[in-house]
Amino acid sequence: MTRTYTPWFLLAVALGLAAIYLFPVYWMYVTSVKSGSEIFSNPPTFWPADPNIGVFGDVWARRAMPTYLWNSVVIAGGVTAITVVLGTGCAYVLARYRNVWIDIGLFCVLMLQVLPASVMVTPLFVGFNQIGLLNYPRTAVVLAAAAKAMPFFVVLVRATFMSVPRELEESALVDGNSRVGAFFSIVLPLARNGILVCAILTFMSAFGEYIYSKSIIQSPVLQPASVGLSGFLGPNSTDWNSIMAYSAIYVTPILAIFVILQRRIVAGLTSGALK
Amino acid sequence: MSAEPQIELIGIDKYYGSFHALKDINLTIPKGQFVALVGPSGCGKSTLLRSLAGLENISGGTMKIAGALMNGVPPRKRDVAMVFQSYALYPHMTVEQNLTYSLRLKGVPKEEMRRATEEVARTIGLDNLLHRYPRELSGGQRQRVAMGRAIIRHPKAFLFDEPLSNLDAALRVHMRKEIRALHDRLGATSVYVTHDQIEAMTMADHVVVMRDGVIEQQGSPLDLYDRPATRFVAGFIGSPAMNFIPARIGPDGASTVFDRPDIRSLPIGKKLDPGREVIVGLRPEHIAVGAADGAGMTLKVAVVESTGSLTYLTTEEPLQLTIVMTGRTELAPGDAVQVSVPSAHVHIFDAETERAL
Repeated sequence: MTRTYTPWFLLAVALGLAAIYLFPVYWMYVTSVKSGSEIFSNPPTFWPADPNIGVFGDVWARRAMPTYLWNSVVIAGGVTAITVVLGTGCAYVLARYRNVWIDIGLFCVLMLQVLPASVMVTPLFVGFNQIGLLNYPRTAVVLAAAAKAMPFFVVLVRATFMSVPRELEESALVDGNSRVGAFFSIVLPLARNGILVCAILTFMSAFGEYIYSKSIIQSPVLQPASVGLSGFLGPNSTDWNSIMAYSAIYVTPILAIFVILQRRIVAGLTSGALK
Repeated sequence: MSAEPQIELIGIDKYYGSFHALKDINLTIPKGQFVALVGPSGCGKSTLLRSLAGLENISGGTMKIAGALMNGVPPRKRDVAMVFQSYALYPHMTVEQNLTYSLRLKGVPKEEMRRATEEVARTIGLDNLLHRYPRELSGGQRQRVAMGRAIIRHPKAFLFDEPLSNLDAALRVHMRKEIRALHDRLGATSVYVTHDQIEAMTMADHVVVMRDGVIEQQGSPLDLYDRPATRFVAGFIGSPAMNFIPARIGPDGASTVFDRPDIRSLPIGKKLDPGREVIVGLRPEHIAVGAADGAGMTLKVAVVESTGSLTYLTTEEPLQLTIVMTGRTELAPGDAVQVSVPSAHVHIFDAETERAL
């Protein structure tokens, strides 16, 4: 008896937890179009009485969102590019060779993941300052965030490479290809899905990067949308629907990408590159 | 068959760290010969094949293919083709692209490539599958594509790494003949690794039996069957396996004495030192059953297994033997049988060195 009910029970728990997690997203969208008084009404309304769509255009223009979002795209794009180019090579080597140095390397890579950004930011700031990188703050943030994104990418892509049978590469070698040629013509196409998925996840997390940007980038013209959002939150700020509208504009593209690619992302994460 | 050597291995050694995987391998393969490397898993046969392909570096010795020194030469410059156990077809390429991969790397002109593809597809019967992907093919078809990919190159040598072990039994027997026929038609030089002695015996001109990184014996299949050099080869070649019985040479030097008084001595057809400790080897198919000339011994049947054309008998104490009889028998477990072995078919091995005497 319990047997048949257990999956349903677990599904209900999972859905409940998902609801708790997703409710704020819903609340963000709903609050953004509510009027000031409706936001604070008690009991709260779950559907806005008089939706005010104009708030989006207003916030977009007033808060210079195009600049912020462009900076976010530049930073996320830079982080993704560096991570993919360097991380793919690194992951391949870690997947194909087995010896004590590789294990040490893998351990170091994982150590990077353990260190939180808020701990790393001060030494990074000092270091960047010494070599003059703070004059190029977006570049500095891209470097710092790419270092942070690398371990996650390397570990996942390494698993993808490991699922590509070695014999395929050996076959390509015997067929007359070089080591490098075999990598580009056989291994890379087969690992493409996994790399693509990890690149998208990297882009999405870098798109919301906050700590490094907040500490390193001083000029508002160069700050990403995450930092721009925090500019709203002054001690006296009550402009909740504008804040929520800003958040909605910021988050919606990421959500859209995720929903569109959801099937591929899940498949890429669970099944590896082949089949 | 010309005698000019296509592959020459002289004193090949291979170490993995401190593990000595190949020990002083010497092997010469004339052009056009089909050679089988056979042995139990871990005997070094695959390592030897991979060394030939250049996928492993040898630690010592001289390796020549078509007269050219191959030590340290990367695989792509060796001009050998390899068929892998898993076929190793490129999953993201169609059959045609798989076949032409090596030609494209060589920069063969399109027209020539098309002609080669058609010819190979006809040879291996894949004409209508050229635009399929490997995942859409059956095991046998994949096997053919893997073969085709090797044939299309006209390489100096074909290397096969247990290519039939992923196929079902019926297909395996069929492909065995097909590979051999292909080899003869192309006049190719082939090295074929297998753990299946039947495959080695039926396909090869020359069989190399390996154990623990050493060549135990090499020769024609029937040579190995008739004159095994060691107890290991004797037990490995032939199915069901040879019976082995510890014994001693009798005082006359021409027969064996068994430790048990209830087993009669057996004439061996040659003279050896009396009292020497030996192992007697008797092939199941050489043991004659029935009221013989009186030189036989009487044993009790324990198990009778019939396959229709052949019957396998297993006898019990004092001597456990496997016996193969052609045809059928009325014998049942518990019956007594008279068995005898012609002295020409008695194999004697030294008890200590296990070498044939």
